[in-house]
Amino acid sequence: MTRAERIRALGLLAPAYLWLTVAVFLPLSAMAFFSLLTEVPFGEREWSFTIANYTEVFGNPVYATLLWKSLKLGFWVTFWCLVLGFPCAWILARMLKGRSREVLFLLVILPFWSNALVRIFSWAIVLRGNGVLDRAVNAVLPWDVNINLMFSEPAIIIGLVHSYLPYVILTTYLSLQAIDETLIEAARSLGARWPRILWRLVLPLALPGLIAGAVLVFVPVVGSFMEPRLLGGRFGTTYGTLIEDQFVAVFNWPLGAALSFILLAVVLVILAAASPALRKAAT
Amino acid sequence: MIVVARAYLGLILVFLYAPIIVMGVMSLNASEFYALPFDFSTEWYERLFANEEVLAASWRSVWIALVVATVATTLGTMASLALWRHDFPGKRILQALLFPPIAVPWLIIGTAMLVFFFGIGLGRGTPAVVLGHVALALPYVIITVTARMQSFDRALDEAARSLGARSWTVARKVILPYASPGIIAGWLFAFAVSFDQFVVSYFLAEPGDSTLPVLIYTAIRKGFTPEINAIATIIIAVSMTLMIVAARFARFGGTR
Amino acid sequence: MKTILTPAALALMTPMALADEIRVLNWQGYGTDLDWAIAAFTEATGHTVVHEYFTSEQEMLTKLRTNPGAYDVVLINSAFTPQAQAEGLITPIDPMKVPNLADVDPALVANQDLNPGGALYGVPWTWGLTSFAVNTGDFPEAPTSLSVFWDPAFKGRVSIRDDALEAVQFAALATGQNINDITDMDAVKAKLTELMPQIATFWGAETDWNQNMAAGQFAVATYWSGSAARSISEGLPVAFVVPEEGAIGWLDGLSIPASSTKQDAAHAFIDWMIDPDFYVKWEAEGAPATSNTAAAAALPEESFNRKVLGDPAVVARVQFMRPVADETREAYLALWQELKAGQ
Repeated sequence: MTRAERIRALGLLAPAYLWLTVAVFLPLSAMAFFSLLTEVPFGEREWSFTIANYTEVFGNPVYATLLWKSLKLGFWVTFWCLVLGFPCAWILARMLKGRSREVLFLLVILPFWSNALVRIFSWAIVLRGNGVLDRAVNAVLPWDVNINLMFSEPAIIIGLVHSYLPYVILTTYLSLQAIDETLIEAARSLGARWPRILWRLVLPLALPGLIAGAVLVFVPVVGSFMEPRLLGGRFGTTYGTLIEDQFVAVFNWPLGAALSFILLAVVLVILAAASPALRKAAT
Repeated sequence: MIVVARAYLGLILVFLYAPIIVMGVMSLNASEFYALPFDFSTEWYERLFANEEVLAASWRSVWIALVVATVATTLGTMASLALWRHDFPGKRILQALLFPPIAVPWLIIGTAMLVFFFGIGLGRGTPAVVLGHVALALPYVIITVTARMQSFDRALDEAARSLGARSWTVARKVILPYASPGIIAGWLFAFAVSFDQFVVSYFLAEPGDSTLPVLIYTAIRKGFTPEINAIATIIIAVSMTLMIVAARFARFGGTR
Repeated sequence: MKTILTPAALALMTPMALADEIRVLNWQGYGTDLDWAIAAFTEATGHTVVHEYFTSEQEMLTKLRTNPGAYDVVLINSAFTPQAQAEGLITPIDPMKVPNLADVDPALVANQDLNPGGALYGVPWTWGLTSFAVNTGDFPEAPTSLSVFWDPAFKGRVSIRDDALEAVQFAALATGQNINDITDMDAVKAKLTELMPQIATFWGAETDWNQNMAAGQFAVATYWSGSAARSISEGLPVAFVVPEEGAIGWLDGLSIPASSTKQDAAHAFIDWMIDPDFYVKWEAEGAPATSNTAAAAALPEESFNRKVLGDPAVVARVQFMRPVADETREAYLALWQELKAGQ
């Protein structure tokens, strides 16, 4: 690369990366700094350095309970997204062809582009007692049932699975599509049965896509706060709502920053663990 | 087998579309409390067009998204062309740096931006929202444009250059036209990211100048009328149309 | 000719010339955002009104702290006025700019919590009760005790507000304690721990309260007297109860943020809000009790506030909220977070 080329490349790259620095990387560093303060350093407030925010988080079991709860929520939502999404991606990638595939694929991805909040609120109307689901089931079944899923953990999981399912379908679809048909043919001609093909051949090949999808679901779900609040009722307190409260209601920004930072650390560990698979999926 | 497959796909589609359909239907239900049974009324659409707060927030969201998409697409296209065309030490690191805005939960990024913008005296407001949204949209643009450029035949670039064309001319006459579907798709992505962005806006929007998703969240928590369903139905119709257009450019799901 | 016309022209011109947009921070659906009231105010003064809402006093204070200059009028529960004043968030009221203050009950104007540091920081506006309301479909006869909240028959159909202070004070009532001087926190904790499994969700504002009541999701839920009056007038099947254990009383004042740049318009709006004409119309739709004695006198005999809050036996059971010290509030918050996290 010549000197002129280097300058040109730099000129092209600098604006985007400067922007990312100001709007993402510096804020993340600032948060680390804030999490070590006693008070927000605005106006005339007195502040000093402390690790009290971290000792508070690690010393008080409430925070650990909520973090664990959010991690569990992330796990279950990811689990259901994978279980529901894989067959869907399989059908789209391997069983449908041409125009019907394109149309159905678009149909699966489209809901993703509607306002997430309103979708969650609509679930409330569907799930509550005497709501749409209750009435629909009662219209079909000859006996009376009372379905009221609103304000429960299943409600949160349903809402979140709905929000994130398209991610998994998309990433899995891409990796399934890349599998060479002749491989499966070969396995079949050697007498392998479907469960075995699925387990020994398809799953390993689809794994990068599945893991990429899982990460794309798990990470935001662990930090979710609006879905649990709206659908979970009394079960709706999560690590995410705790952080939201520190910033929006209680005005304990340093504690909120410490909580955010710990979540960031957890997320980074998970991303690091998944990164080999992610790199594979990206190529 | 294909019947079972289609039935399964149908069930998934029912699951995906049920709340969206309910939302649309409820925008035409007379009851303010979302009570059933259904009673047809267009009252909420009439009320919506008289509700200046919702309309103002909608327009604010639209023009913020327009600004964000344009800025992010310009910067992102520049960066991705540089990343595609040149090889230099540290390139992998630069590529890796695109992931945090996508992979770190928005809750963390949003609160971090709030803290930082307050720290430097920018505070809340539309400039902060635009600053944040562009950063979130940039990686999507860069990834989309880069993906498009991967199929570019580099021999073309070299041929043009060996014929004496200057670098800028090559970029304008050969590379940019080739990249344009990716650029358009990137712009639409960026627009959607900004337009539907709730978490970051929630922490950065100034009271009284909130964007539509923020208004919807406060409405849901503090008092919600079917007017919100009406505006959301309109938005879904618009963004789905946009998405279909984007899909035509990016060819998602098509054979590679 | 000229001398006669000029003042008249000025009087006509002034409202338009000085038309400001004021931002009001309040609970949703709490009087200041009534369409007809704002329209009349705009017509009379030229000022337009925009609203922003909060779902807890904590959130209100944080909004004031982090958005200087964004608000011109804010509703503050008198138990929080001293804190807002101590943090320098609000500015003293200029009584000269609020002529209707003359009709406001002098005892309320002199309320010590509204006068931190010896100056009036909040114009007494309304007062009322935090008690509870029941769905008349489930309760043909209204209950007389708070114990219905713990009745297993209503498991999953109970709601309270997601607010540490209110939850703790509510449990204090249920355990027969003074809400401003809770001595037996263990009893409060035990009572709330028992309550949690009963709860469906925490309500945040009148609208979601109404929606959940209308959908039958709630059978019994804490509520404010004025809001209950409004829900009843909108036709919801609910009845407001002041149980034998008592109720939490509050006094709401209208204050002006220190950072407001539209002080005159803000004073004008506050004056408008304590005007008897406005109150009588509001009361007909359902409102809390007024601070204005002239307005109270103008109410019809059958009005909710005369019937329910005018009963001396009810008033005797009310415990009025006082400011809470920071450490106490933090202790309540910690308890409340622990209870919610345990779900």
